[in-house]
Amino acid sequence: MAVGRRDGRAGPDVLRRAGEASVLILISLADGPKHGYALIQDINELAGVELGPGTLYGALDRLERLGLIEPLPAEDRRHPYRITAPGAAALRVHLDSVERVSAAGRLRLQLGGV
Amino acid sequence: MDDSRTARLVQAALRCYPARWQRRHADEAAELAALLIRDGTPAGSIAWSYLAGAARAWLTPRPGRHLSAMACALLATACLLGVSAGLLASAGPARAASTSQPRPHARCRPGPAEPVPVPGRPPVIIRGAGHDRSC
Repeated sequence: MAVGRRDGRAGPDVLRRAGEASVLILISLADGPKHGYALIQDINELAGVELGPGTLYGALDRLERLGLIEPLPAEDRRHPYRITAPGAAALRVHLDSVERVSAAGRLRLQLGGV
Repeated sequence: MDDSRTARLVQAALRCYPARWQRRHADEAAELAALLIRDGTPAGSIAWSYLAGAARAWLTPRPGRHLSAMACALLATACLLGVSAGLLASAGPARAASTSQPRPHARCRPGPAEPVPVPGRPPVIIRGAGHDRSC
């Protein structure tokens, strides 16, 4: 199932309920293809999150089913993945949404003087 | 934990995944586990992560599974209906017998012994089974 739009315009936030692992994987793949071990290391450096291998493969399967990532030809036993155009669009929409919520939260904290 | 036991633990966890997943990811997953263990991740937590992942893989509905799940549900429903009908059929006469009031002057009297036909066996005569129809 392909979601998102190839033209990059905002659509529904399909990553809202996808879980943190899926979002982190898409962010990690945004700068180039990676295989499982590289993804775990990158996400640990990027967000300080230690992704379990079971969680990683579950999220990779889900993202691939959604058409947000795609596997590349295997290198030895490793399967690299890359983000697709709908995946990049979905990530953009999700990050915009997170940014809006984050800005609103900061503003309210400021106004509330907490 | 020594290397062979660690490898066995991870392999056992990987065998819990559906066959489709194993064909695609098992080799890479085993290599990934070895790399993570080398980096200092406890083997137990890796095996646990794979076990939880296997449970999710089995529970996550897949597009191809919709039809088979529906067929299973229909089959299960048919079996349940069949069993229920069978139970009702067998419980009906027993319930009727247990709830009927004994009549003091019932016209029940033993009838003549009749042979009971059983396919593939010689006729069996059951004594006292031939009550009147009025009972």
